[in-house]
Amino acid sequence: MLAARTAVQEKIASVKSSIGNTITISPAGMRGFEGGGEPLTSSQIDSVRSLPHVVSVSETLTDRLGTSSTNLATAVDAGSLGERFAGRSGIPDSAGSAPSRTPRNFTPPITSLGSSDLTNLQSFGGGEISIIGGGKFDPAVDAEVALLGKDLAEKNSLSVGSTFQAYDTAIQVEGIFDAGNSFSNNMIILPLRTIQRLSGQVGNITSAIVQVDDIDNAKATVSSIQEKLGAAADVVSQQDTSGQALSPLESIKNISTFSLLGALIAGAVVILLTMLMIVRERRREIGVLKAIGATDFVVITQFVAESITLTIISAAVGTVVGLLASSPITRMLVENSNSSIQTVGRGMPGGRMMGFIGESNTNWRNIQASVGWEILLYGLVAAIVIAFIGSVVPAWMVSRVRPAEVMRSE
Amino acid sequence: MLKVKNLFKEFPSGEIKVKAVQDINFEVPEGAFASIIGKSGSGKSTLLSFLGALDQPTSGTVEVDGQDIGKMSERVKACYRSRKIGFIFQSYNLIPNLSARENVMLALEFGRWPKAKRFERAERLLNAVGITADKQLRRPTRLSGGEQQRVAIARALANEPKLILADEPTGNLDSQTGKMIFVLLHNLARTEKTTIVVVTHDLSIAGNTNTDMIFHLKDGKMIKS
Repeated sequence: MLAARTAVQEKIASVKSSIGNTITISPAGMRGFEGGGEPLTSSQIDSVRSLPHVVSVSETLTDRLGTSSTNLATAVDAGSLGERFAGRSGIPDSAGSAPSRTPRNFTPPITSLGSSDLTNLQSFGGGEISIIGGGKFDPAVDAEVALLGKDLAEKNSLSVGSTFQAYDTAIQVEGIFDAGNSFSNNMIILPLRTIQRLSGQVGNITSAIVQVDDIDNAKATVSSIQEKLGAAADVVSQQDTSGQALSPLESIKNISTFSLLGALIAGAVVILLTMLMIVRERRREIGVLKAIGATDFVVITQFVAESITLTIISAAVGTVVGLLASSPITRMLVENSNSSIQTVGRGMPGGRMMGFIGESNTNWRNIQASVGWEILLYGLVAAIVIAFIGSVVPAWMVSRVRPAEVMRSE
Repeated sequence: MLKVKNLFKEFPSGEIKVKAVQDINFEVPEGAFASIIGKSGSGKSTLLSFLGALDQPTSGTVEVDGQDIGKMSERVKACYRSRKIGFIFQSYNLIPNLSARENVMLALEFGRWPKAKRFERAERLLNAVGITADKQLRRPTRLSGGEQQRVAIARALANEPKLILADEPTGNLDSQTGKMIFVLLHNLARTEKTTIVVVTHDLSIAGNTNTDMIFHLKDGKMIKS
């Protein structure tokens, strides 16, 4: 239980440390590229900047390049799943019914992302985007420059300084990035103002990332933003999302903690009763020891030493059993508590939060109980303390009786 | 050596008080062999427990070498029991999970003997009471009653006590072995100048072994000395 608790505790700490002080604002009802909702405007987001605890706000606009407006070839193979989804787009054909035929030669579109801040860019999977060639552009300037995903650059034989066509405009490659997954590497990143102008969405944004001064202020800031923007926006903090993900983990930790406390109390009671019985059975021996010169201290020390010796032997056996059982127990606890989160985090790619939850869900399965020196030490100290208290009390009680009284009663 | 004055002991038994010993007075000089004789329930074992600081009398004093046992703290009493007196019990009272030699060494440990000398002294004492080397390694359950009592005598002698208190030392032995044990104790009193007080109900044994002093107890009172 100690090992399971420690493993879960470490996992909670690890997940918490990965949470940033960020809040995501997106159009109400929007779900990645499945659409929904109306775009937010930069003027709406400007009203958020003045709220308390808001450190910075970065805006993004996500779009897709049409095949007719670009000379870039997509680097992602649709596969049978992509073709299946494309065939079920929900767009009625000319006869007014949904298309039943899977289109041939379907290619997934290239994503274009405009951002007002390149410092904390994240991929659709939630991972960091790193520049592997060239450099970043100034996101505040409206210029025909772009960062290209690694896969897209390779597919189209482009390098830093090359140009390509997008939105029927020549764009220069300023840098090449690696986002860690194929979908994100099939993307171009442009300055926000540029993409707004080129795509005909001036002033529109599809998401904003708000940085708050402290994670403890995230919840209050979410409320303030939601109040400011009303029903037009969905406002979610990583803290809220991680709270959902961590809630079952906290439950497991609590189960482990209470089980551990229960085991310790039960152990203490068992040792106390056992030692009480042993000491009472050996009252005559105690009487003899005192008759031949043993002090109360010697008698108590003898019983405590016996108890601690037995405890250390038991602890050694317990450690072996614990080593073998800690992982299965942890796995069992996690599996039994896992069902509540199974359905979360399996959305379509395109939302930062969904990526985050998906990652947390993966974290669930990665909890490994390990018995380190620290756990062994805690366990041994707890066992010895319990053995000490459990044996010293009855031995002290019996050692105080007069030898003649003990020997007469036997 | 041993001086007992106006010793009383009362036990509560329901609403009445039972007088276990009443107004006991006697003295035993150094190196003497004294026997306290009485029937079962006469209070002789209770009297012996006061001499050995195993129990506290209701009133009266017990002095050993001029020291009043009743005024000693528990810690000093433990020291007194380990160094000044040796106990021999009817049922031997050896520690069952220790060998004969370890039983004697335990008494030496309580008497603060140096660790290096304990083994040698235990071996010598056991040889002196007739326990052979192979039997010294045996646990008490693998020794006869007579042999166990010899080990108990060796243990009682371990710390060179000035006073040996023996409570029915031959009670669990046949008459032949009992006589041998008495002779052994008697020789000790002579050679080591150890004061020996023996409690027994067997007048034949006590009377046949040149006992220096005999005290008779009846219903907690000393009727003859």
